[in-house]
Amino acid sequence: MRSQSTKMLAVLLVIFAVSTLYFIFPTITVAQEEPKTFLTHTGLMIKTTGEVIDPIGYNGEPLEFNPDKFLRDFDYGIVTELDDGTILREFTITARDDQIMEVSPGVFYNVWTFNGSVPGPTIRATEGDLIQIHFINEGSKSHTMHFHGVHKAEMDGVFENVGPGGKFTYEFYADPVGLHLYHCHVHPVEEHIAHGLYGAYIVDPKEPREPADELVFVLNGLDTDFDGENNFYAANTIPFYYKHHPIQISTNQLVRAYVVNILEFDAVNNFHLHGTLFHHFPAGTDSVPSGFNDMLTMSQGDRQILEFEYEYPGLYMFHAHVTEFSEKGWVSSFLVKEQNEVKSDLIGNEPVI
Amino acid sequence: MSQSSKYKIAVSAVAPIVLLTVLIVFILGSGSSFLQFGTVLPEIYLEKIDFIDSEIQVTVRNTGPIDVNVVVADVNDRIQPAAIEPDNHLTRFETALVRIPYDWNEGQPYAIGLTTNDGTRFEKVVDAAFPSLQPDVELVGYFALIGTYVGIIPVMIGLLWLPFIKKLSKNKYQFFLAFTIGLLLFLALDSLEEAFEISQNNLADTFNGTLLIGMVTILTFFGLYFVSTQLINKTKFSKISAPVSISLMVAIGIGFHNLGEGLAIGAAVGLGNLALSTFLIVGFAIHNTTEGFAIVAPLSKTKSVIPKLAAMGLIAGTPAIFGAWIGGFFFSPFSAIIFLAIGAGAIFQVIISIILWQRRENNFLSSWPLMLGISLGLFVMYITSIFI
Repeated sequence: MRSQSTKMLAVLLVIFAVSTLYFIFPTITVAQEEPKTFLTHTGLMIKTTGEVIDPIGYNGEPLEFNPDKFLRDFDYGIVTELDDGTILREFTITARDDQIMEVSPGVFYNVWTFNGSVPGPTIRATEGDLIQIHFINEGSKSHTMHFHGVHKAEMDGVFENVGPGGKFTYEFYADPVGLHLYHCHVHPVEEHIAHGLYGAYIVDPKEPREPADELVFVLNGLDTDFDGENNFYAANTIPFYYKHHPIQISTNQLVRAYVVNILEFDAVNNFHLHGTLFHHFPAGTDSVPSGFNDMLTMSQGDRQILEFEYEYPGLYMFHAHVTEFSEKGWVSSFLVKEQNEVKSDLIGNEPVI
Repeated sequence: MSQSSKYKIAVSAVAPIVLLTVLIVFILGSGSSFLQFGTVLPEIYLEKIDFIDSEIQVTVRNTGPIDVNVVVADVNDRIQPAAIEPDNHLTRFETALVRIPYDWNEGQPYAIGLTTNDGTRFEKVVDAAFPSLQPDVELVGYFALIGTYVGIIPVMIGLLWLPFIKKLSKNKYQFFLAFTIGLLLFLALDSLEEAFEISQNNLADTFNGTLLIGMVTILTFFGLYFVSTQLINKTKFSKISAPVSISLMVAIGIGFHNLGEGLAIGAAVGLGNLALSTFLIVGFAIHNTTEGFAIVAPLSKTKSVIPKLAAMGLIAGTPAIFGAWIGGFFFSPFSAIIFLAIGAGAIFQVIISIILWQRRENNFLSSWPLMLGISLGLFVMYITSIFI
């Protein structure tokens, strides 16, 4: 009888020991593969048999949203000339709040979008044009479009919430000249903006600006774990994108950057350019630059038009000088080539009409 | 018993299990979405962080209910490129090693973060970075030496109290026995406290550290009680008497406890707290001398025990060496908690054995010697613990 109970005890102990071992060492069997060498952007190197997770030097499959395309993409609307000679520009903008998008390699986040992307399309018109925005809310929450600029109170997109499935037509004249923005203004505004409901809005002067390679940078952030702090920062949504995909520009070519700061949770963002200095125009409303600098500090909702040229070819960084932001994604670079090397179709985004 | 009634018994034993299985299959089955409410959230736990040459290594475990991908690593909330082995997909309870190339600075605090595919960031803070120990022969020997200083030698010194104890009157003897009970009781509480602390700081909630500690303590108590009773019954007619068995159980209990102490010292050295571990070593050495006393006390009325004593000293002291090795080289919160809980359970068993053994002879439980002895034992340990 005793030997039996001893045996039972022994069996119990063995079971206990084995199950404990399982929990402590579940990855005891690791397949040995040929190690690959992995060099980081800081010059450190390791050999690994595993996977590389590197959003900074990412060279895998392109993500759904393409910042390269967004960079020089301007939406001029459907254009008709009214009887009195006024140009009418019609835009159809659809809001949604159900998309799950890969915002950084492997990171999936619920973006709220105007026309399916964050930022929404860059709406562009010329001073005095009549703008009609046919807004459709296909989301599950109320949304609006609030434009900065001069317009009637009922076109302000603040008090007239558009419910799920609802429609609204915003109508106003493009005024004043400058770089503005639009965003959803439904309470809680912070949440609606943080999820992605915003975009740039450019009003060109009747006398066109000097031809230039025109680029749009919407400075934004992503709070992917909803703790009221941004996990990622970026110029045009995808962290580190222009770090691993430098923007090609050419020497001695005027570059005009439309920079909109729509960052949530952080009071201040900034823009620092390497290798040259820029003239900057606050909100783009004045024709005289208010400074010549390589640093620009912007609060939430601030915009600036930057004009600059590079004298020497090479790779130049531009990034937030709030280094935290740059090390969490808002770091980019220009690849400046001799003028004749750059493909001509990338240069000069002349407005139609 | 007839064939059919045996069959009926078998059916009645198996039927509920079969029905339960059917129920579970029905609930979990693909077509049954009626029970799916709420949202399941991924969860990972950073179990261990090692600082190697220009590299920070994180052992991460999926402690949530669903598979996750670890997609971003950061140091002090700044994104860093990293490698993850074997791959970045973690099934339930699976672990992976994240290797972050990073020129870290010794003695500086670091917050290491990992972000999962849903964008949630998980973090662990290291108070001060120190190079992780790499096991080599020299270090193995060094830890063995520490274990000897802390475990074997002090316990052996404590055993030298034997002649003194032999000369004591019954009351004084009981007082000293109670004194050892006090010492042991304190050690058990100390082990448990340490176990709870590790569970709190280093073990994912999923593993129910608190329940594990309670369970292992209770299991050890009953297991050892069972074994020691067998031992005493078996040796009833031989020369080894109940005092020797009790003394042996005390030695085993203390052995587990010293394993825990070894873990603490090894882990402290491993974490780079050399100053702290020097203090730990001196403290444990003083403290463990009293453990020799606990082993020797039950033996005072037995004759020719020197070889047995030496063996018991080794049983009680040697585990400190193993503890130091485990703590220094393979520290795992899981095993540490289990060892500490075993130590506590073993000590509780020893205390009960001493009390039951003495009760047979007189009214021990409600005597002055017991009251005074336990009080003094606890008090002495409390005072020494302050200095460790």
